[in-house]
Amino acid sequence: MPRTLDHPPQAPALRARRRPRVPYALLAPAVLLLLAALAYPVGWQLFTSLHQFGLAQQFGASAEFVGLGNYARLVTDPGLWSVVLRSLAFCLVNAVVTMAIGVLLALLMKAVPRAVALVLQVSLLLAWAMPVVAAMTVWRWLFDYRRGVVNHLLTQLGFDFVGHSWLEQPLSFFFVATVVIVWMSVPFVAFSVYAGLTQVPDEVLEAAQIDGANARQRFTGIILPMVRPVLALVLLLQVIWDLRVFAQIKLLQDAGGVPSETNLLGTYIYQVGVGSGDFGAASAVSVFVLALTITLSWPYVRTLLREEGP
Amino acid sequence: MKILRTAAVGVAAALALAACGSGDGSTGATGDGGTPEPATITLWLAGGDTPDELRDYLTTTFEAENPGSKLVIEQQDWGDLVTKLTTALPDAANTPDVVELGNTQSSTFTNVGAFLDISDMYEELGGDKLVPGFVEAGAVDGANFTLPYYFGSRYVFYRKDLWAAAGADVPKTLAEFNETVAAITAAQPNGIPNLSGFWIGGQDWRNAISWIFANGGDLAVQEGGEWTSTMSDPKSIKGLEQLQEIWTSASKAPRDATDANTYNHLNDSDAVEGEDGSTTSYSLDAATVMAPGWAHWSIGDLVTKDGKDVREWNDERFGVFVLPNAEGTGAAPVFAGGSNIGISAKSQQPELAKSLMRIIFSDEYQQLLGENGLGPANTDHVDALGDDQFATALVESALNAKLTPAAPGWAALENSKKLEEFFGQIAGGADVTATAKAFDAAATPILNGAAG
Repeated sequence: MPRTLDHPPQAPALRARRRPRVPYALLAPAVLLLLAALAYPVGWQLFTSLHQFGLAQQFGASAEFVGLGNYARLVTDPGLWSVVLRSLAFCLVNAVVTMAIGVLLALLMKAVPRAVALVLQVSLLLAWAMPVVAAMTVWRWLFDYRRGVVNHLLTQLGFDFVGHSWLEQPLSFFFVATVVIVWMSVPFVAFSVYAGLTQVPDEVLEAAQIDGANARQRFTGIILPMVRPVLALVLLLQVIWDLRVFAQIKLLQDAGGVPSETNLLGTYIYQVGVGSGDFGAASAVSVFVLALTITLSWPYVRTLLREEGP
Repeated sequence: MKILRTAAVGVAAALALAACGSGDGSTGATGDGGTPEPATITLWLAGGDTPDELRDYLTTTFEAENPGSKLVIEQQDWGDLVTKLTTALPDAANTPDVVELGNTQSSTFTNVGAFLDISDMYEELGGDKLVPGFVEAGAVDGANFTLPYYFGSRYVFYRKDLWAAAGADVPKTLAEFNETVAAITAAQPNGIPNLSGFWIGGQDWRNAISWIFANGGDLAVQEGGEWTSTMSDPKSIKGLEQLQEIWTSASKAPRDATDANTYNHLNDSDAVEGEDGSTTSYSLDAATVMAPGWAHWSIGDLVTKDGKDVREWNDERFGVFVLPNAEGTGAAPVFAGGSNIGISAKSQQPELAKSLMRIIFSDEYQQLLGENGLGPANTDHVDALGDDQFATALVESALNAKLTPAAPGWAALENSKKLEEFFGQIAGGADVTATAKAFDAAATPILNGAAG
């Protein structure tokens, strides 16, 4: 082909010899900034986690080095393990439910007429754009035990929900939390997957249809494999986000519920650190969560790298 | 410590050193006599209890007495006050100069050196006239760090109409109170759905501890410098058993409800209007609640004043009385609400901050506090509260009121939510003795400052 003629055979050798410096120089400020912005807090966190660091240290008392003492204290605390298991279960359930609803909405957006899709997209954007605190206030009102719409409607339907407190039992507490978090994160998934879907060529789908593939077969055989990288990436982000969910749980706990039975990792760290003034132990949990996040996301990152490689 | 920190950080040594600088430096800001340089100082007030009139008085008086200087008042939420104090007070660049904080939070912060030693001002600001329990909460080894700002107290608000419909009289003893509110719940006067004879949330420990105190129990005692949580003491257990009975037979409040806005349950309606413009009695679901004295501004008939919906107290419908003690000889010891106030140890303008303290403890300002229903720190001015039923109830219950233990770890225990959970468990029907023992085991180390 004529294109190959533009590149003489010796070109690769030339490229190897030149070793351009400019890209590295351009990268350097960003890398340095990232190191400073990331290394300082992470380093400080590691330092704190190895010391006895409480309120007195916050006000200038010297911190005693305790080695892995904070970690040892945590590992032997059954409270931490129930928080970890609860967080993992909560994170997986939420990520999967969010993904399922998000993908279905994305497919819906492609299937319905443009005007309907537009209304759908605007509603999703509004849900996405709503500040967490405002959204949580509305949801707390909806589930209010005394005047909440949810209780009112259920009572109208003939169930006895007068004065039913949703946050009192951990299971229904997490049900409410899941509803809120899924509601808030579905738009992102729906839009990302929708963007991915628009990249699936119509000709291929048409050809499959002519060959006799039904809707389900077209979805599993063509669409799914083609948008897999998008799905994998979005799922990874969901897992990371849901593992570190904080504001929603904290705001729900402020409205009711039993903190020790509804703590997830985020609120647990907050309660140990800022709440009880044990910054050493809180840092140790944070380091643990960092390790957990890396462990959980590593397989995904590896597959992503493999797929995007040469 | 500096070396360790820098080594741990590895990168960005400049940043790390800057952080250290704010940690240990800045003691040279104390004035050297004479008039302090004009500057702006910050006062943190907690919650909205201090009315605007008083805030205006503080800013104008301060600016008149310190020409060229300015006072900025910033209001902080009670909910995250401890968090804000933990991060702001150690930081000389961002610390507020004068800070109001809860009396139960005071000992924790004074013990770690967050406040300036103002022992030299103690006499000038009121000395022995200041409410003693609050002074204690702000003192360490005889030195004064924070002083009382205002005190409040809790008493009982009740619906006269519902009590009359149930044939109940104002009780004279604690046992009578417990029986009466249970009887009202059983009677369901006026057919109000889900009515509580006495509405008390399962996690409302601030009101619940009155029953422990009233039976001679205590939250914690100090012996030889060590604090011990005493929830499983037989006297405390007796109070807890009475509480469990109340939660079972008198209160239909959720087991996870706290002491926030309990007065709402006493009003006929919150401003919820029906389609025909009438307000419904939907939200009334308590015949009795316990609340700090200032709740009376929020209880009453709904009226419109200057285009705003406000509550107007109606003596026909609402009443107050002081929770009676077990013997029937007077008021039960309830939990004393209120605030302490002090100067941040890291304040860059201690002289101006002291000038503000002098204004706060001046006769004029103490009088203003009383006129606005807040118990003045200086007991000479208690008469400013007036002599209506609220003032009478406030003074009577405050005289007997108790503070939470002045243990170094009290604020940490409070923030760990263990109290909420403990009382929630009791409300839910847990075994009293076993639950109390488990609480004591968990709380004692925290009280002594060991990290939880």
